[in-house]
Amino acid sequence: MTARLPRSAIEPKNPRLNVSRGANLPHVPGIRVGPYIFLSGMGPIDPVTGERNHGPIAEQIRTTLSNMQHMLESAGSSLERVVRVHVVLADVADMPEMERVYREFFPIDPPARTAWSMQLRFGNGCEIECLALAT
Amino acid sequence: MSPRREVIVASPLARDGASRFGRAVSTLVRGGDFLFVSGLTAVDPDSGERVRGTTASETRHILVNLKQLLEAAGSSLDKVVKVNVLLHSMLEAPNMNEVYARFFPEPPPARTVCGARLPDDAKVIIECTALV
Repeated sequence: MTARLPRSAIEPKNPRLNVSRGANLPHVPGIRVGPYIFLSGMGPIDPVTGERNHGPIAEQIRTTLSNMQHMLESAGSSLERVVRVHVVLADVADMPEMERVYREFFPIDPPARTAWSMQLRFGNGCEIECLALAT
Repeated sequence: MSPRREVIVASPLARDGASRFGRAVSTLVRGGDFLFVSGLTAVDPDSGERVRGTTASETRHILVNLKQLLEAAGSSLDKVVKVNVLLHSMLEAPNMNEVYARFFPEPPPARTVCGARLPDDAKVIIECTALV
């Protein structure tokens, strides 16, 4: 009765952004299943050095969303196909700065979004995950 | 055929959700068979203003609005599959639950409740995913 949906891991074209695999963490950057792509939470990783970018929060948000765009495009999707976003900040006071940079990436008809603040790993100021349509 | 992504502006509330606070957020987004609802804070459905109250009263405001939003988009509370509830304090979980339990028919959707720091001095934020 239940048709088996194919499930496959996705990879960024830039190997420096394959953070979880590089650090031997037990998760993949994302999973494609049926018409959807589920991305893991992403942090501010410099795409050139592969190091964490702990600059001003605006820069961290820009780096993270830019990497998310790369991840989606590596899998044949795009920011325009994102349906839901979770934005987690280390400091709730960074919400206005997040908002300012975020809208550069989603200027029209943005996705559904929930944003909140809680403890993050590695001193990251933000972690962002999303769900997108695959094609 | 691949599903389309569609931002739904089905009701004044949905429009408010996206524009009220000048934020880059769409309250309702449909993609494939699912409707994705942004994290909602307590808002007066008539004035569109933020309502600040107790955890119980904010929960009630949010769920009344959620019901209306879902129905305007061709879904309903009994088609919700997953809910995420964010609370400013997990000590308030019983107060949220008491109100929450009155809204969803049996069997209620899957749900996660977390304590977190919330924007806008909100005591509760609720988001969900529903079948259309």
